[in-house]
Amino acid sequence: MEIELAEIRDFLASHPPFDRLPEEALNALPRALIVRYLRRGTPFPPQDAKGAALYVVRSGAVELRNEFDQLVDKFGEGDLYSASCSEANPEADFAGVTAEDSLFYLLSCKRFFELRRQHPEFDAHFGASLKARLRRALSSMQGEAGEAAGLMTIDAAHLVGRAPVHASPDTSIREAARLMTRERVSALLLCEGKQLAGILTDRDLRERCIAEGCDYAEPVGRIMSKRLVKVAPDTPAFEALMLMSRMNVHHLPVVGRDGVLGVISDTDLIRYQSSSSVYLVGDIHRAESPESVAALSRKLPELQIQLLNAGVAAEHLGQTISLIIEAINHRLIELALAELGPAPVPFAWLAVGSLARREQTAYTDQDHALLLGDAYQSAAHGDYFAQLAQRVADGLNACGFFYCPGGVMATTAKWRQPLHVWRGYFDKWISRPERKSLMLACNFFDVRVLYGETALFDQLRADLLQKTQDNRIFIAHLVANALHYRPPLGFFRNFVVIHGGEHDNALDLKRRGLIPTTDLARIYALAAGLHEIGTRERLRGAAEVSALSADGAEGLEDAFNFISSLRARHQAEQLKRGLAADNFIRPDDLSKLERAHLKDAFSAINGLQNTLSQRYQAERFF
Amino acid sequence: MNLLDRLRSLEQRRQRLAARAPAGPLRDYLQRPFPDPNGACAEAPFLALDLETTGLEPNRHAILSLGAVQMQGTEIRLASARHWLVRADTALEEANVVIHGLTDDALAAGLPLEQALSEVLRALAGRVLLAHHAEVEAGFLDAACRRVFGGGFLAPVADTQWIARRTLERSNRPYGANALRLFNLRKGYNLPAYGAHNALHDALAAAELFAAQLAERDQGAKPLRLKEFLRPF
Repeated sequence: MEIELAEIRDFLASHPPFDRLPEEALNALPRALIVRYLRRGTPFPPQDAKGAALYVVRSGAVELRNEFDQLVDKFGEGDLYSASCSEANPEADFAGVTAEDSLFYLLSCKRFFELRRQHPEFDAHFGASLKARLRRALSSMQGEAGEAAGLMTIDAAHLVGRAPVHASPDTSIREAARLMTRERVSALLLCEGKQLAGILTDRDLRERCIAEGCDYAEPVGRIMSKRLVKVAPDTPAFEALMLMSRMNVHHLPVVGRDGVLGVISDTDLIRYQSSSSVYLVGDIHRAESPESVAALSRKLPELQIQLLNAGVAAEHLGQTISLIIEAINHRLIELALAELGPAPVPFAWLAVGSLARREQTAYTDQDHALLLGDAYQSAAHGDYFAQLAQRVADGLNACGFFYCPGGVMATTAKWRQPLHVWRGYFDKWISRPERKSLMLACNFFDVRVLYGETALFDQLRADLLQKTQDNRIFIAHLVANALHYRPPLGFFRNFVVIHGGEHDNALDLKRRGLIPTTDLARIYALAAGLHEIGTRERLRGAAEVSALSADGAEGLEDAFNFISSLRARHQAEQLKRGLAADNFIRPDDLSKLERAHLKDAFSAINGLQNTLSQRYQAERFF
Repeated sequence: MNLLDRLRSLEQRRQRLAARAPAGPLRDYLQRPFPDPNGACAEAPFLALDLETTGLEPNRHAILSLGAVQMQGTEIRLASARHWLVRADTALEEANVVIHGLTDDALAAGLPLEQALSEVLRALAGRVLLAHHAEVEAGFLDAACRRVFGGGFLAPVADTQWIARRTLERSNRPYGANALRLFNLRKGYNLPAYGAHNALHDALAAAELFAAQLAERDQGAKPLRLKEFLRPF
């Protein structure tokens, strides 16, 4: 039998969430509708409405404004307005007006709720919290990654296959060798009580014992490796892997609070994944010249495409790419030091911004700085560090990480200073915040030591966190600064609707999604005096100390993950086509569902921006 | 319409026709009072109706299908949507088959004209007949009622084409022949273009156009009266 009102049925079928309804329910749905026409400029929902209803826009457009007459949403063909059907929906408080002559399909709230009860897939679009909707969006985006993601998603503890085989350092070499043979292991852990004292490997036996002609009755402690490279159980597996590659070790003890959990061997890792990223890091660390580092760095775009194809989540993608870029930095510094000779005073090479947060994908410009020990004398040592900075910056530029246009590089004298000068910078930024300096300063609140004396920076950071913690005036300035970038309100046809009702042709995922989230996370971290640097870690940390509700933190993290994933996919597409990766996505390139999820993500960010803005009355500043 | 009819109110003409109609669906229909022409348009009951026919002359051509949907004031109620296929007595001319997408097979499965007509009259009772270019609907229903039930048909008529023409003429703007077509008028009101062409979708299209015309005329000052939209027949 023909479907009556096929036009309306087909229209509904092509718009979420109606596309989730089974055929039968969809065919019956048009008969439940009422059609209404509202002329441009009519209050919405119409004042003469006979009862509350779900509104589907068939043609035309509606604008919602808040009590200050600011545009908060604009929607058009195929969009839904369900606020009238739920008491708790804050949208219901907004004044709506039709922005164009519009035709609507109305479904009574009663029928609407019946549909939701009968069809969970349909209900999911409305019922679930913003958080749940974003979660689902993310998991569908990553698809059945599972196996392929492998090392990206598990931590080091998961790689430990068996209980550790261990002995005391007093054991004789012969006894130790027999134990290893019996247990079929290539590495033996040597413990004093619960303390890990060293490790003995087949190679140690060969090189330090047999080749040297030592006495097998000697205690094994004499030939074991004492300089231990080890990891905590919660270290991400891929990070453990990269560490092994970088340090050129084949066995990595995993040590928890209660002692040794076991050993990861490189065969354990290969069992999980023959990850090209790991080999790349290994190659980078063996590169003999800045030119060969640059040649290796050209594999990065292809790697990013591979990782995405394997279904790696944006979170792990950012970490992996960042770790490889760290390796590039690390190797370039080593190569420079090899030529320049050892540094005359202690120093710490600092990554600044997204690399420090381990959220870098694809190529961006280079941001770094040098922190020098207070023994630094510019007359005596200035030239050395200027040369070091120049070599590394040139090397990075050759790798495709172009010189920072804002000069946030160790080559800039201002950002190559001893500790007491840096202390002065942070003092000024925190105690006398100004708009312009603060935007710059935000970069320097996201800093990680890539090479050198970590302790130098630890002092600096402990001091600055003490100054930012609970510093209302400083935080209020940060909030005002963060409100500079607001997420868009949503999408309207093929435009991005931004605050003030303006339309953009493309969505800047970085400025309108990622930066606002990163800014929020930084604010919470600094206000609570947290050491975390990564955006996700900061949000989780803030929730742990109750600086932020667990819901708020998770919602924001999900928003961040979703937007990062979209960006990663967008950039992979560009890289595949041989284009430079950028942050601009056109609304046409987004599915209806992605638009809806993005809107959820935006509203999570916007909600916390508003919360902070009110808490610190940030409008009063600047 | 003769001079005497013109002077009589629609209501008086209904009562005369009702008195003359033989017992049956037509008389039942005519015995129901028409909506009050002085009543508010926003409350008035309408039935948007569209007929697909084999030609334009009511006495020579046949009704193929009818589509109808109720409109209460400004609300179009899709729950009331109906579509009747009429069993054809003669093979269809090819041209119409193309336009309407109806085939002989489909029509063979349809209802006898008498049954379809009875159901349409029942749906229309107490309502204003709403159509685009209502000469077709009014003319074919009248001819069919005379043939099937032996009496004349009458209804208060709101004609979206007539309303549009009146608006254009009052504004003294010149307009082209195509300006009054349903499709073009709908476009002017930002109404969607429907791909499907059958009596039901066309009835719905006319109802939506009427809703737009009402909204255009509604200045909010005083309620619009039904009689302002009724086309004299």
